[in-house]
This record gives sequence, structure tokens and C-alpha cells, in this order.
Amino acid sequence: MKLDDVQPQQMYRKNKGLLHALHIDGWLLLGLLLLLTTSAAIVYSASGGDEAVITRHLIRVGFALALMLVFAQIPPNIIYIFTPWLFLSGILMLIAVILFGDIGKGAQRWLDLGPVKFQPSELMKLVLPITVAWLFAHSQFPPSFRRLLMGAMIIALTASLIVVQPDLGTSLLIAMSGLFVLFFAGLPWKVILAAITTTVASAPIAWHFMHAYQKQRVLTFLNPESDPLGSGYHIIQSKIAIGSGGIQGKGFLGSTQAHLEFLPESTTDFIFSVLSEEFGLLGVIMLLVLYSFVIARGLYIASQAQDNFTRLVASSLTMTLFVYIFVNIGMVSGLLPVVGLPLPLISYGGSSLVTLMISFGILMSIHTHKRLLTD
Amino acid sequence: MSEQLKFNSDAEAFQQKRLFRFRLYFAYGFVLLLFAFLIGRMAHLQWYNYERYHGLAEGNRISVETLPPTRGKIYDRNHILLADNQPVYALSMIREKMDDIHAFELDLMNLLDGTDPEKIEEYFKKFRKWNRSKSYTLPFSISEEQAARFSVISHKHPGVSLTARLKRVYPHKNTAVHALGYVGRINIKELKDLNEKEYLGTNIIGKSGIERFYESRLHGTPGVQQIETNARGRILRKLETVPATPGEDIHLTLDIELQNYAEELFGDKVGSMVAIDPQSGEILAFVSMPTFDPNLFVDGIDQTNYNRLLYDPHRPFINRAINGQYPPGSTIKPFVALGAIENDYISPTKKIYDPGYFDYAEHRYRDWKRTGHGLVDLNDAIEQSCDTYFYELSLDMGVDAIHDTMAPFGFGSKTGVDILGESKGILPSQQWKQETKGKPWYRGETIISSIGQGYNLATPIQLAKATAILANRGKIIQPHLLKDELKASSSAQIEIKKISNWDKVIQGMENVMHGKKGTARRHGQGLPFKMAGKTGTAQVFSLNQGKYNADELAKRLHDHSLFVGFAPVDNPKIAVAIIVENGGSGSKTAAPMAVDLIKHYLEVDVKPTSNNETKP
Repeated sequence: MKLDDVQPQQMYRKNKGLLHALHIDGWLLLGLLLLLTTSAAIVYSASGGDEAVITRHLIRVGFALALMLVFAQIPPNIIYIFTPWLFLSGILMLIAVILFGDIGKGAQRWLDLGPVKFQPSELMKLVLPITVAWLFAHSQFPPSFRRLLMGAMIIALTASLIVVQPDLGTSLLIAMSGLFVLFFAGLPWKVILAAITTTVASAPIAWHFMHAYQKQRVLTFLNPESDPLGSGYHIIQSKIAIGSGGIQGKGFLGSTQAHLEFLPESTTDFIFSVLSEEFGLLGVIMLLVLYSFVIARGLYIASQAQDNFTRLVASSLTMTLFVYIFVNIGMVSGLLPVVGLPLPLISYGGSSLVTLMISFGILMSIHTHKRLLTD
Repeated sequence: MSEQLKFNSDAEAFQQKRLFRFRLYFAYGFVLLLFAFLIGRMAHLQWYNYERYHGLAEGNRISVETLPPTRGKIYDRNHILLADNQPVYALSMIREKMDDIHAFELDLMNLLDGTDPEKIEEYFKKFRKWNRSKSYTLPFSISEEQAARFSVISHKHPGVSLTARLKRVYPHKNTAVHALGYVGRINIKELKDLNEKEYLGTNIIGKSGIERFYESRLHGTPGVQQIETNARGRILRKLETVPATPGEDIHLTLDIELQNYAEELFGDKVGSMVAIDPQSGEILAFVSMPTFDPNLFVDGIDQTNYNRLLYDPHRPFINRAINGQYPPGSTIKPFVALGAIENDYISPTKKIYDPGYFDYAEHRYRDWKRTGHGLVDLNDAIEQSCDTYFYELSLDMGVDAIHDTMAPFGFGSKTGVDILGESKGILPSQQWKQETKGKPWYRGETIISSIGQGYNLATPIQLAKATAILANRGKIIQPHLLKDELKASSSAQIEIKKISNWDKVIQGMENVMHGKKGTARRHGQGLPFKMAGKTGTAQVFSLNQGKYNADELAKRLHDHSLFVGFAPVDNPKIAVAIIVENGGSGSKTAAPMAVDLIKHYLEVDVKPTSNNETKP
């Protein structure tokens, strides 16, 4: 039987059932649900069994899952059509933040829209890679030098609007998600190597433009013991939490570092420390296996995608997830400087979870809509 | 054409797909590599460095706190409390855990209105320079009511904690301070000799008297408590507790009621009195006047009070009962007499003529009675305290015989009472003089020695002990302040050839009180019991080394008034030695005080309470 003889809807019903009808990728959903279950457990433990916190968390998880489902229904070509507008409005909002932003924790990152506070940089985590992918959608791989330059400029513009908020961490991470698109589009290795070399060489210049607290973070990262009660405190306590977990961990709800309030931000940025204290090295390996499974699925979806746009979107969103994981774990374990960044899918916290689940919705959409698109 | 294009397009698409797939593989390889790197990092923290971080985590949450032991209480023989512990409160602060030091300072001034705000400011100035992670305790106690008021606002002030401790309190204040002693803050010198482990969490130690002597029994052993705290130092739960072993409660032989009576007898006179139960050696009263309030020392005495005491001309800090070395004067006559008849230097019935003086080597030694006592035998000599009798006798005996007869009674050596720092006194002998002065003994010195002058020095407790042994007819007792069954029994006995010699000496002393010519007959009249005693009057030169200015000289030259005695004669229940500095003759000042004390004690003694059986 030839494939063309079968009506698409028929095929899905026959072989994939309900999940495919809802445009859900089963494997991805499985990975996500395992991670979110873990998240619920660790947030419960890290908050000291605070029912209010866990309830709010579960509501957010439910909301984010629903959003994922919504975005899974949107065919990639619709996203493609809206991309330039999304990008433009994103840029405008970033400018609005600079002009009218709400000042919180010494940085303007929020737009106060009455009942909701909105963080445009969060939106740009999705919009920027999609925009760059949009730019390369109809070009050959590797794209022309002119297009690459245009992509780089879009990235630079977005990143610089975020860096003045100031939010160096997010700005770098968003730039990274755009750069992944360039990489997957086939940015020549020579250029990549040159860029890395330039970045390293220009570090002293960047240092010059950093805020005092950012400099302090870097210094503290280099030698956390230098200020054990100040900014080095977080990292020292986090390492103690992780290290004291040992191989098997102290058991669920067994984190003394978090429960006794030694560990700061234990439900958000430092939740990995709680997990490693309670579940030990084995738990950490399990978590990383889960993550690599999700990443593998994301990259598989990218490999199965049928056009350059979806390929680039799927692969760069997946790799962005990876970068967030790596930076957070590297940060709490003392490998990287402390930047305010949650652990994807595990940390308590609304906006980053929503962004992530939307990106998984897009991934699912890419995977489940491809036949419909090509035919 | 279009076919061609499509083919090209397919070929290109294939080419692009290959490039893209390669980049995907590369990216995934990169992901796995970095994840492996993270796992390596985790293994480094959780496996390789596990012990270290485990220890740090435990150290983070568990703090070990010492529980200082409760100091043992001190009771008198009738279970009346002499040294107690009372709860007091203080505030401790840890700088790094405090949110707003200034706010607390203001709240505190409010809380303690009445306390000088400048003083509080001064303490806070010091606190702001204090180690930021170490606890600082405000150096004053706050009342229970203030503590309660602080508890209400304590939630506003993390890092500030209310610490309760027990403070030593001496309810009888000045009374018996030289026996009881007092506690005070451990000083650097004491710290060196201390077993630091035993004193964790404790900052006071017995400084003198019983408090010092029985320090190890009173102190107890500290306990340990492991406490789980959070990062803000809030105590979450107590993990393991080894309770402190409280110090032992001890009972003293003192009768605080008698002690108080004795001190009242002194009034503002300066001197000392020691009363002993001759059967057991238990010290019933231990007086050194003037006294001071030991409560002043518990938290550290302030300079004004300290100077007032230190520069008091009557030197209240001197424990006269064990450190006051006085010429014993005529009080030693019964002991010399005993040695004389025991070793047949003289017969008890032999009479010596006393014209009021004794000439030897072109020097005239006067009797206290200028007109002389006439013909006196041993009994008369003691009764009337005839100096001439002993002058003549001593030349036959020699200083060494006098020394040998008095030494067993404890003269010239420490009594071994359970208070540290006792003085030895001086019981001279030829050897003693050669050793200490490097000079031979002169016979003329024997003459004045026989009446307790010259080199002779005795402490009040030595006199009391000697008197008690005499009252016991030679049974040696050990004066002590701790009521302890073990100490009570002693079988040592001064052996003499003729038991009746005890009676002869004691008869003489009985006549001092009850005889026609007894020096204290006025005070012995009408007593409901037979009492034995001996008065003494001591010249003061030897004690004070002539370092007084001319104005003070006259007053200072007044003789010390002494008296030793015991009662009842047949069954002695109390032996007393008393010295009143510059009190004049023994019969005038010391004797009536001793009689009053004994009367008071023997009357009280009839009551069942003093048997120490009824009360726990």
C-alpha cells in the first residue's frame, strides 16, 4: 500500500490514536510528565511541605500543560506567518520596559499590565530563535554571508535591549538561542571558531562594561570562599547541600540544608541542590538521563522536520533547553557564575515554565503537523 | 527543465539535510559530553568530597551547646540555706544575625527605662566592634518582668536571645562570709589551673572559704546538648542531650543562728571567734569581724565598693579566724601547766611566792597584778592567771619542753580546717629560732614565752582546736566545716601518764569561771552549767610590726582581749576561742562574749532541731 493512498486523518487514528489527534508527541509528553512529577516532589520538599506553594505550583504546571496543548494545535506555518509581527512587538515591548518598566530587584525587567506583570525577555526566549529561523527558512544551508550577518544583527539588537535592563544572564542566553539557529543553519566552522576566539579575547572589555554586582558575581564565582557570608554564601551552601547528598542521598524530604534555611532560593534557582541532597548522585544521573531523553526527542523531531524553518526552530529550542539546564546545574555546583536562572521544568516559578511548555507545544506541533503541511 | 530543477532541488535538499543532521549529531554529542562533565562534577562533590561536605552540613545544622551544671547548695547543720541559686536573665546578641541593631537598642532603652541610657549606648558601642558571629551578652541582669516584656517583642529582633542562668545568692549576706566564702568570675590565673572541659559554660568559681575548698564537689559536671539550628540560628529541635550533673549540695557544721548571734555579739568590734563541738571537731561558729556581703562579688564587684572594702582600716577581707596571728597570751597557761605537772617539773600542790614580779638576769619581769598574788599553787596560778608562777616554772622547763607539750594541741601548725590559706602561727623552740632567725635561744625569751608572749603566735582556730582537745581530755579532733560522717571519727589521743592531770588543769580553768579569785568569775556567776575558761590579754607589738603613725598608736596599742573556754565541764559540748582586737583585758571584753555564746548555744542545744535528724 502506498502512503499516498491513505487519508492522513485515517492514518493517525489507526496508528497513533488520541495522542496524535491532539497533536501530542507521546514520548516528549512522557519525558515532560516525569520531569514535572519530579518537580512537584522537589518543590514540595524544598518549600518545607508548604501546601500553598505546592498548590500554586501544580496550578501553574496545569496551566503550562494546557498552553503546551494549545500551541501544539497551531500548525508551524501559522507561526511562520506571524513571526515578523511577534518579533516586532517583542522588540517594542523591550523598549517599553526600558522606558516604563517596573523596577524590581534593581533591574527593569517587568511590564506592569494591570493585573499581570509581564516579562518581555521571557517571550523573546521563544521569539528570537524563531525569528532567526524565519530569516533562514527559504535560504540554502549554509545561508549566504549577508543573511548570516542579518541574523547576527537581529540577535545583537535583542540581546542589547535586554542587557540594558540590566539582565546580562538572560541576554546571553537569548543570544545563545539565536546563535544555535546560526549553527544549525550551517554557520561555517571557521566563523564559529573565530567568534569563540573573539569572545574570549574581548572578555576584558566586557568586564569593563559590567555592573558592580555582576563583577562581584564573577569574582565570587572565581573564589566563593572569599566572601563566605556575602555573595559566596549561596554557592558554598549549595555545594554543601550537593556534596552532603552523597551517592544515595538523604532521602525524599531529607534535605537539611533547605529545610534549615541554609540554602537560599531552594524552590527556584537552587532547587537542583535540594534534589541532589535528597537523591544523591544516583538521583542526579537519573535527572540527567531524563533530560537527555527529552533533548534527544527534541533533536529527533528536528531531524524529522520537513523544512528548514521547523528544523531550525525545533533544534534551537531544544538546544536552548539544554543550555538552561547546563547553566543552572553548573551554577549551583560552582562551575559557572551565579546568574538568576531556574532549572528547566523542575524549579518553582511561573514564567519560565510557561515559556518552556510553549516551546514544547511548538515542538509537538512541528512533529505532528508535518504530513499535513507537505501534502 | 522542471524535472532537472526538482532533481537539483532534491540533491540540494539531501545535501542540506546531511549537513543539518551532522550538526544535530554534533549538538547531541556536545550535550552528552557536557552532561557527562556535570556528572563528573557531581561525583566529585558527592562521592570524592562526600565526607567533607557531609561534615560541613552537619556542622551547619548542629551546634553543640554546653549545659553548665547547677552549683550545689550550701546548708547549715540545721538545713538552713546559706548559698542558693536564683534564676536571672540576660540578653545575648549575635551581630550577623541581627536585622537592625539600632532598632533593638531603642527598644531596649524602652524596655529598661530606669537604666542609664548612656550605659546602654556604651555597651552597644562595644557590641558593634564585637566579632560579628560571636554572641555578646549585655553585662547586666534583667528582671523576670523585663524578660517577659522582651519575649513579647523578641520576634522583631532575630539574633537576640534571652538567656537564663542561675546566680549564686547568699541569703544571710554578711553572716559567715569568712567560712562560706563566695563565688566570682573566673580570672585568668584560675583559668590556667582549671580543667576547661569541666568549666564550659560556667564563668564563676569559688573564690574563698567553703565555696573554694569544696569547689569540685559544688561545681558538678557540665552536660552537652546538640541543637539543630537553621541558618538564622533559630533552634529547631534538640538532638541529643547529656544532662549536666548538678553539683553536690553540702551541709556545713555551722549553726547559722549561733553564727549570727556571735557576729551580733561583736557589734563593730574587730576580731574573731571560733566555736567547736569538741566531740566531733565540727565548727559551730566561725567569726571574723568585720565582714562583708559576698553577694557583691558574684557578678563582679564594682570599683567603688571594692575600694571601700579594700581600704577599710579594719581590713574586712582578712579571714582572722585562720589568718589572724595573735600572741595567745595567758590562754596558753593551762597547756604549759599540763606539761609541767605531766613531766614533773612541778607538783600541782607546790606553792610559789609571787611578789608581783620575777627577776632574772638583771631584768624584772612583771606580773599583770603589780601587788602580786602571794603564795599560789598550780590551780591558783591558772585561776588567777599568775604570771610569776609561770615565769619561774618556765625556767625549769625550758622552751623546748613548753614546745613539746603544746605542739600536740596543734599550736604552731595548721589545723587542717577545710578552708584554704590557713596560717601556721608560731610555737617557738630552740630549733625554730635557729632555723628562722639564725640565732640561739635566750633563756629570757623562755620566760615571756611561758605566758604566750614573745615569739608566740596563734590563730583563733588553733586556740579553739587546742581548747577542744583539752576539753576532750586529750582526744584530738580535726576542726572542720563540712558536715561529713567520715570526718567526725578520729581515734587520735594525746596520751599522758596520769589521767588525773587533765582534771587538775581543767579544775583550774573551772575556777577561772567559778572560783573566788577567778579572772572571769563575774561572768561565771549564776551559770546553769559548769564552765571552764581562760582569759588572755595580749600586747599587740608583735602582730603589727610598729607601722602605725603616732596618732593611731595609742588606740592601736590597746591590748587584744582573749578568752578560751568550754562547757559543760563534765560533758563538753562547745569549745570557744575568742579574740577581740584592742579589746583590752580578756576578762573585760572577750570572756563575757564567750559566756554569752556558750549560754546561748547550750540553751538552744536543748531544742530538738539542732540534732539534725528531723529535717531532710
